[in-house]
Amino acid sequence: MKKSKFMNLVAVIMLILLAATGCSSGNSAGSTQGAGTDTGKTTTGKLDKVTLQLKWLPQSQFMGYYVAQSKGYYKDAGIDLQIVPGGSDIIPEQQVYNGAANIGVTWVSSLMKYQSKGWGLVQTGQIFQKSAMLLVSKASTGINSPADLKGKKVGSWFGGNEYEIYALLEANGLKKDTDLKLVQQDYTMNQLLKNEIDAASAMTYNEYGLLLESGLKDSDLHVINMNDAGVAMLEDCLFVNSDWIAKNEDLYVRFLKASIKGWAEACADPAAAGKVVFEADKSVSLDHQVYMAKEVAKLVVPKDFDPAKIGYIDPAAIKQTADLAYKYGLLTKPAVISETTVTSKYWEKATAK
Amino acid sequence: MRSKIINLLWPLAFGTVLILAWQFGFLHKILDLKPFQLPIPSEIASTLADNLPKALQDCGVTISGALVGLIIGSLMGFMIATIATFFPKWGYGGMIMVTALNAVPIVALSPIMNLWFSTGMQQKIGVVTVVCMAAMAINAYSGLNNLKPHSLDLMHSVAANKWTIFRKLRLPNSLPYIFTATKINIASSIIAAIISEYFASSTSGLGFGIKDNLRKAEMAMGWSYIVVASLAGVILYCIILLVERDALKWHASQK
Repeated sequence: MKKSKFMNLVAVIMLILLAATGCSSGNSAGSTQGAGTDTGKTTTGKLDKVTLQLKWLPQSQFMGYYVAQSKGYYKDAGIDLQIVPGGSDIIPEQQVYNGAANIGVTWVSSLMKYQSKGWGLVQTGQIFQKSAMLLVSKASTGINSPADLKGKKVGSWFGGNEYEIYALLEANGLKKDTDLKLVQQDYTMNQLLKNEIDAASAMTYNEYGLLLESGLKDSDLHVINMNDAGVAMLEDCLFVNSDWIAKNEDLYVRFLKASIKGWAEACADPAAAGKVVFEADKSVSLDHQVYMAKEVAKLVVPKDFDPAKIGYIDPAAIKQTADLAYKYGLLTKPAVISETTVTSKYWEKATAK
Repeated sequence: MRSKIINLLWPLAFGTVLILAWQFGFLHKILDLKPFQLPIPSEIASTLADNLPKALQDCGVTISGALVGLIIGSLMGFMIATIATFFPKWGYGGMIMVTALNAVPIVALSPIMNLWFSTGMQQKIGVVTVVCMAAMAINAYSGLNNLKPHSLDLMHSVAANKWTIFRKLRLPNSLPYIFTATKINIASSIIAAIISEYFASSTSGLGFGIKDNLRKAEMAMGWSYIVVASLAGVILYCIILLVERDALKWHASQK
């Protein structure tokens, strides 16, 4: 209650700010340039304020936005972008819905859950084309295939991040409640390192790197990749509040265009992008951010993927995510995939030549 | 008697009005919320009914951890207070230590306990123990030392030794203070247990249920866990009140 009240207050303040800046920029633009100033690249007047809610802490997972920010692409598009970090109890869907942020980054499966409960949110871009989720175990534990997870202790972050694991288990004939023990994993890799759990959830770009940084080698680790196991669900996507986008279509397209430019540059030179991210927030270490940037680049622009299509929403991957989410219990009814829940029209405008 | 009934009726009426306002959407209008952000009471109730066995099981996990931690923490707190009473010179240093420990927030304590203990239950008991220790130590110390004027002189005049003074004078005198500490600790032990479950490796317990469901947009399920947690707290508090009434019949506060 307290939090939501506070959020309402924040939302109100932000709305006032938005209204205020919106008016003033409209006035100044009107007096100097007349009508038709909404094509972006506004050199006069104030910038449109936009808030981007990240799913997690400031790190190379979101390098495209940081690169675009540091190169001034948002400013060039007439946008004053504020990047808001996430955290374990900051839920992008709730932040964007109640107006604390305008645009959010979240996992597709999680967004589908909120949409199915009636939250007026719409997916407007897909940054990661592949799932980064791994189940990692020490080679000495002898987990060579998903079937070997039987009787083991397996870690997950839960809160919606467990469904790829559920899908993996059931696709391999294991019952998640009886055949093994699922435990809540913290955001370090200590439980695996201290042998408290046999297999741990890990993102290719973050936790797997932590294991390598702790002195383990690739050969010491066994990895189950969700993409190979055929149970991949889509992760980092962009979404907005349906009411907000109805009024700010042009603004969002400008944001997306600048972001795609940032992502393309970041993926072309991940080492530099990692440095930009580290400079922006000094999170963990430069090495870790560069490692992450290199791994994230593989998800945003996988092999044989045209970099010009960054942000593309692949209907087949969306459908697989929706089907798995329904089949393995995240959704209680099949996801509605329509223009109101996931739309490529802004992406098409942003990438049009 | 009549005033007692009226005293009971007011909060009851207020609660009913609040729940009705919540059920019929007035609350949502005032706070500008949608039912999927704040589920209505009937939905929470039906969700709870559908998931009662699971919720009760999780409640049992949380409450048993809270109670074990409460007992260990209270005993340790009482022991510290006793030592500080018997050996005031250096025992009081221990009291200051405990008070300082009390200032460590639960959210900082939980991940630390996570590092020390491998199972969720041990971790929970560890957090609750630390949280309960201070309130008991401070209250028990007051109870053992804030004696009636001249009562200590009386004991000395009949040549009572330290142990007799403790048993016949200090201990009975400290009882009301101990109950006060227990009442404080009941509430804080449940809070501590629930918060510790946010960080624990275990996937059972009310804390995990609240956090996990609220993140996954299962608001009604999250709220039904919140309802169970509050009910459990109220019931435990009532039990302590009854025990206190029975144990402290002689005390002025119960007359």
